[in-house]
Parts: sequence; structure tokens; C-alpha cells
Amino acid sequence: MSRVEFRKDLFADERSDDLNEVGKPTIRQDIIGHVRGTTRFYDDHLFDGLLHMRCVRSPHHHARIRNINVSGAESMPGVRRIVMPSDVPNNLNTLLSLIGFGRDDEPLLSSAKVAYKGEPVCAVIADTERQARDAVAAIKVDWEVLPHVLDVEQAIQPDAPVVNETYPNNLFDYGRFDHQKLRFGDVHSAMQRADKIVEGQYQMSPIEQAPMETCGAIAAPETNERIVCHTATQALFFSLGTTAKLLDVPSSRLHFIGGTVGGGFGGKVDSITEPMAVLGALLTGKPVKFHWDREEEMQVGAPRGAERWVIRDGVMNDGSIIAREFTGYFDCGAYTRLSSYAIQKGVGHLPGPYTIPNVAANVYCVYTNRTPATAMRGFGITGVDFAIESHMDKVAEAVGMNPIELRIHNAYRDGDMKAHRRVAKNTALIECCQVAAQKSNWQLGPQYASASSLRDGGSTERAAIPETAVDMVGKIGERRSSSIAASPAQGTERVPAGQASELLSPLPLQHADMQIEPSRVGHTVKATAPLANAAGAPPPAATAHRETTQPPATQVSTPVSQQSPVSPPESLPASSTGSYQQPPRDQPAASPPEAPAVKPYEPQERFNKGMNRPGAARHLINRRRR
Amino acid sequence: MSIEVKSFDTLRQASEVLGGSAQYIAGGTLLMRKVNYGDQSFNQLVQSTDPALKQIQSQGDEILIGAGVTMSEIMQHPQLQFLGEVARSVGGPAIRNMATIGGNLFAPRPYGDMATALLALDANLHWASGQQQSLEQFLERSDAARDIVHSISVRQPPTGAFQYLKVSRVKPKGVSLLTVAVLLNRENGRTGNVRIAFGGMAPEPRRAMAAEQALQGASLDESGIQRCLAACTEGMAPADDSLASSWYRNEVAPVYLKRLLLQRS
Repeated sequence: MSRVEFRKDLFADERSDDLNEVGKPTIRQDIIGHVRGTTRFYDDHLFDGLLHMRCVRSPHHHARIRNINVSGAESMPGVRRIVMPSDVPNNLNTLLSLIGFGRDDEPLLSSAKVAYKGEPVCAVIADTERQARDAVAAIKVDWEVLPHVLDVEQAIQPDAPVVNETYPNNLFDYGRFDHQKLRFGDVHSAMQRADKIVEGQYQMSPIEQAPMETCGAIAAPETNERIVCHTATQALFFSLGTTAKLLDVPSSRLHFIGGTVGGGFGGKVDSITEPMAVLGALLTGKPVKFHWDREEEMQVGAPRGAERWVIRDGVMNDGSIIAREFTGYFDCGAYTRLSSYAIQKGVGHLPGPYTIPNVAANVYCVYTNRTPATAMRGFGITGVDFAIESHMDKVAEAVGMNPIELRIHNAYRDGDMKAHRRVAKNTALIECCQVAAQKSNWQLGPQYASASSLRDGGSTERAAIPETAVDMVGKIGERRSSSIAASPAQGTERVPAGQASELLSPLPLQHADMQIEPSRVGHTVKATAPLANAAGAPPPAATAHRETTQPPATQVSTPVSQQSPVSPPESLPASSTGSYQQPPRDQPAASPPEAPAVKPYEPQERFNKGMNRPGAARHLINRRRR
Repeated sequence: MSIEVKSFDTLRQASEVLGGSAQYIAGGTLLMRKVNYGDQSFNQLVQSTDPALKQIQSQGDEILIGAGVTMSEIMQHPQLQFLGEVARSVGGPAIRNMATIGGNLFAPRPYGDMATALLALDANLHWASGQQQSLEQFLERSDAARDIVHSISVRQPPTGAFQYLKVSRVKPKGVSLLTVAVLLNRENGRTGNVRIAFGGMAPEPRRAMAAEQALQGASLDESGIQRCLAACTEGMAPADDSLASSWYRNEVAPVYLKRLLLQRS
């Protein structure tokens, strides 16, 4: 075990040191079996007569499917079944539909067109893997190659090809906007006061999680019409729910066994192999294995997406950063998966662990003809952290300052207001910097060596939500008809100081008994929830909003990044679009719904277990779906 | 399509059935991956149990190495110490137990480290048909129709004259970003005959002829090798791949060549 040094002298009064596990070396619970080779992974579950399933994949970045000729493959030895897109009962899904976030945008098998290299269009089930591979090679697809776009900034130009028809602007929708906005203070006026402007662009590449065990699943019929599925997934219930939805089977018929993952790191969340294997078992009545080989893992296994960040700082000569502006692009590939959500997490993290009084960010979730991107460790913040810390060095150079001292000078401290309007606590950047400097024999000036994250934070100035300049630039669809600068525009309206947000008005409670009593919340909350968004108060929790008088929708809005998964952007009241007219679209059929649903939610039918409505998976319980 | 495996007592018999949909298999470290991944271009594997494939014989200062000798066997053989470092740089232990010196001559980039070393050592190929050819000639037109390599003969270099460096991102088992091998005879602190070979700087291992000429008679110090370094990427065609860009390879090739040349002089 590597040597760990515990600096228990720091924050000594904030912890009791009587814990049995934390701070002590421990052995991973599953490591003995892994090292001795006795762990049974999903692929070690052997079935008599196991069939093998393999996909026919696109060799093109973007192409329409004119025709698929399977006549040669059907009669090949060992071939049991050719699986076509029409065999998938509910062939459109998005991963986060299980928590009501985003629109269904990705087929399990694509029938009309492919939008990335390696996208599956049909599959073969055969007695042996080799027979399946041979049959896949014998299937002829007639492709009509389409122009593709691989660069995020090119993809948001008005004339860029449409990657994903569900999002015809090549951008995910965040409320009314085609990007996630963050506004805190007034960046534009602060930049004019600044002594120096420091700008940098940072580009990350996609990173494949590269697990030792590639993604896969084995499904087999069980008794009582159930299907058992041994899987490598790292998100068992995600995979279960996704399979139930795509295949339109009640989840009670699915018996999923997982929990032994040969390396995941975020790459085994996407739940592609489980529905495929279960579909194979349903169609053939036999055990079926669907397993990516290494090349598939690298080509179609969703990586951490590439990110591009442009950062502009307004800096004073003493090293104080008074304004920071971000323009971020997440390359989410051809389908959404988890990128849209990663952005929300990333934007909540801005401007990094620093107290900067004026922050603005426009962050785009861009569809390109690349492999869809998904989660990886440090979900949503690793890329932008790389950009921020590289930029801090650049700023230090620009003002001729020791880079560690610059960080301590601008570091957030306990009690400071963060840009996403939460008060910072348990901050420890200053102490980290001091220890790092000490370990690397890096000299710090006396005021930096003695600084503390416990002191000098939370002053009236540092704890306040400033008056914030906001703009309405970048509404959904605008970019299709005209070129708009991607960076945050100058504010045209202002939100008074102290106001956390007014845009995020939660839906009214459906029943009075859904109001959570403060005493029953697992953490400490004030008995009287902050109704008036007092300065310094944490943003109101959804539950506290019941009696809040909502500011009129015509008033200025401050979209900030504190949406939680239970109040996704789609649920924003559509009335807040005001007088804005949706510009004409290329694909009217695929335009996002503009439901003018201002009425509070009312169930259409009484609650009963499951529902039987066209277009809704039966396992979903009375959840509104579009 | 099932795979048929045919085994022959002699290499000559094996070579007669090659071509069409038959592939010769030795260690299988490259070919078995194709088999497992359902390569549709062949359905027969031909192998041979010819004992000559495993021989290691010395005749004077020349050593004859059977094409089926593995990297592990090279590492263990007392007379092949000069190639031990090269063999050790190939793959991990499991690969080295299977990968053969003959197979390495046919390995596409980023593989072929042994071939790069043998090119610098001016090795000769002996084909199953009895014909001989220098490795350099073979590599120059490696897409031409082939026989099976029977053995490789190489002259033992004077002590310290052969130097080898493999650059990889992952240590110790990574594939080659580029590989440099130098055979350098010294005469009174100056260089005599020089052969410099690069792997990973072209589709096949390739000699840096211009650099060799520039190094002829030069003194082995910073200023003496300057012309050689400037010329070392002449005629090379490095690839843009997931390991590195062509630009990067061209930039760092002289850096690594310099380290190699100055390391023991």
C-alpha cells in the first residue's frame, strides 16, 4: 500500500477521531477473489446451448440506410435469427428518461440512418461466435453517405448537418436556451475595470474507460416466463429499467444479476448490452450472449466526451480575479447518454474553487457524428478543472505572480457565496496549496503561508449574491437561422442583488401531504424555509417553494445551474418563453414539443400499478411522458 | 466458415500450400487475433513442425537463427545477448513466449521492433525455397508475393557497437511509438561504418541513409552528430495514429537518436 500521510493538524476541531474505517487502510472487499481468479464474472456463467449475438455496424460517420440485404446470412450454418430494428418493441430511448431528463433520442438498432461510426443497424444470433461473425460479414447494407460534422463549433453553425433529429439544432435544450447559462454579477462591466484580460482555450480529447472486462451480458429464459440476465453493468437498476422500457416488458419479468464488474469507471452505465441479450433470449427462447470485443469497446463504447473550454479572466495587477467568463462545448457525440447531465454538474462547479465576484458561462451540449459520450470518473468536472487550473497558471504568468500564491489569493473560503448561489463550506483549497508548496519546497510569502480557509471568508461582500446582468441570447433554434456569438452576451436586463433565481419555479405540489416537514429531512434545515431568497441564504429547496409567490414570468430571469434531477429543464413552465417566437425549423416533425402546459399537474387516471398506454412502457408507473 | 489447420513436417511442404485462403501460422500473436475477430480473408492455417525452425547455430561470427525461435528463447540464449534487450522490449512475457523472430519481420507498425534491430544489423533471410535475400531488400518491397522464412542470419556486432532504443508511452509493455537501432563501429573516437534503422517512422522499418552518411567519420559529441540528427528524418513517412502525430514523431526522432548516440560514447 502506498504511503499515506494524514494531516490531522488541519481542521482538528472539525472532526472526532474515533472512526473505525475512515482514515485507516482497508482491503477492498472483492480483491481477494479477483487476485486469486476465483471471482465469477458475468461471462463465467455457462449455459448449455449458449447462442452468440453480434451486430452489423456502420462503417460511416453519417449515412442513410437505403436497404439491408440479409438473404445471404439467413441461410448460413448456425444462424438462428437475424434481429432487425423492427424486432425492438420500443426502439427509442434516452438513458436519463428513467429520471425524466431529456427526450428519447437513440434507437437500440437504427433503421433509418446512422450518426456515428460503429452504430448498430441489425444483429445476428448464431450457434457460435464465429458463425455470428461470418453472418455479420455476409449482410450487405446499402448506405447513402451523408455529410458529417466532427467538430463542436462547426456543428453549431447554421448550415451544419443535422446529427440527431430529436435535437435538430445539434444542441441539447436547457429550458428556453440551447445552452446552460450561468450568470453571477456583471462580467462585462467588470472586464472593463480590469487591469488585464487573460484568455485561453483548452481542448480535451475523449477518454475511453478501457475496462479489462469489455461490456457484455448473458440472458436466458427462466421459469414463469422470466428472463435471467447476468451482466457486467455498473448500474444494475438503470440497465433493468432501460431493458424493460426498450423491450416493453414489465420489470417483474426481468431477473438481473450483477454487482461483479471487471472495471467500470463510468463506461458500464449505458445499458446497451443488456437489452440486446434479453431481446435475443426473448426472440430465440435460448440463452444468448451479447459481448463487445475489444475493438467494439474502443469504437462504440462511450468514452468521457471531449470538451473545449474558452476562459476569459479580468485580472487586477495584484492578482485578484474580478471576472471570469466561460464558453464551454461538450462533445456529446451522436446521442445524449449522460453528457447533458454532466454539463449541469460541471456548470455548478464553476468558476472552480475560487471566489470571483463576476462569473458568466455559456455551456453547450453539442451533437456531432462521433461516438456518444457518457460518464467517467469525476463526472462533468474533470475537463473543466483541467482548463481552470491551466488557466490559473496562465493568469499567474500574466501578472507575474507565484502560481500557488495566486491560487491562495483567489481561493474560496468558508462562508463565501459561490456562483451557483450556494454558500461554500468546508473549503480547504488554501490548506492544500500550503501543504503542496511545503512538500515541493516552494516558497510562499508570509501572508500566504499563514492564510486559512477558515478566516476572512463570508464578509458582507463575499457572501452576497450580487446584482446580476442577464441576457436572453441563444434561445432554442436561434442558431439555426443566424450566427450568434457563442460566448456570454452582454447583459440587457438586471436581477436585483440577493435574488437567487426566479426562473426555477418548481411545479406546485400535487398533494398537500407531499410537503416534507423539516423535521423529517435527513439533514438540518431551518424550520422556516427561506421564502424571500434573502442574501446569503442557500437556494430554496423545492419543497420550500409551495407558498412562494412566483415572480411574474415577464420579469428578468437568471437561469442558474442548480437544477436538480427531479426538476429537469423540461419541466420549466412554458409560459416563461414569453413573447419569444420559435423560428422555423429544418425538420418540423422533430421540433421539441412546445407544450403550453401551465396548468398544475393532475393525474389523468387514477393510480394503478403500471400503465397501458400507447407509447409508454408498462413498467413506468403513472409518470408523465412525452 | 470454420478454420482448418494443416500441419506439415517440413517448411517446404507448408510453403507449397500457401496462398489463396491459407495463412502460415507460427507464434500466432498477430494471426490468432484475426482468427478470433472473424477475419474473412482466410480459412486455413498452415503450420510446420520442421525442427530447423527452432535451431540456433553459429558459424564463425555469423549466427543462424531459425524463424520459429521465440523472443523468450532469444533472451535466454548466451550467443544472442546482443538481441536480448530487443527481445525483452517486445510485448509482455506471454507474448514473448509465443512471438517468433520470423513473424516479427511481417508485423505491421506499431510492431516490428526485432525487424528494426535486424535491419540495423544487416541481417539476411533464408527462405524455405533455399533462396537468400537481405532483410533490407525484403522490407523494401514487403508487399510482393512471399515464401516462408526459414531462418535469419546475422553477424554478431563488436561489443558496444549495437545500440537500441524503443520509445513507448506505456511501460514496460507498450507498443512502439518509434524505435531506433544503431550499429556503429568506432575508429579512434570517430565513427566508421554506421547503420541507423527506425521503426515506426514508415510503414516498414527503414534505414536513415542520409543520417548514416552524415555520421560517417564524425566525432561522437554534440556538435559532431549535429548534421546526422538534422538529416535523420529524411525519407521517413511517420503515421498520424492514436499514439502520436506524424509531426510529433518527426520532432522527437532526432532527440532519441541523439540520446542513443551519446549514451555510451
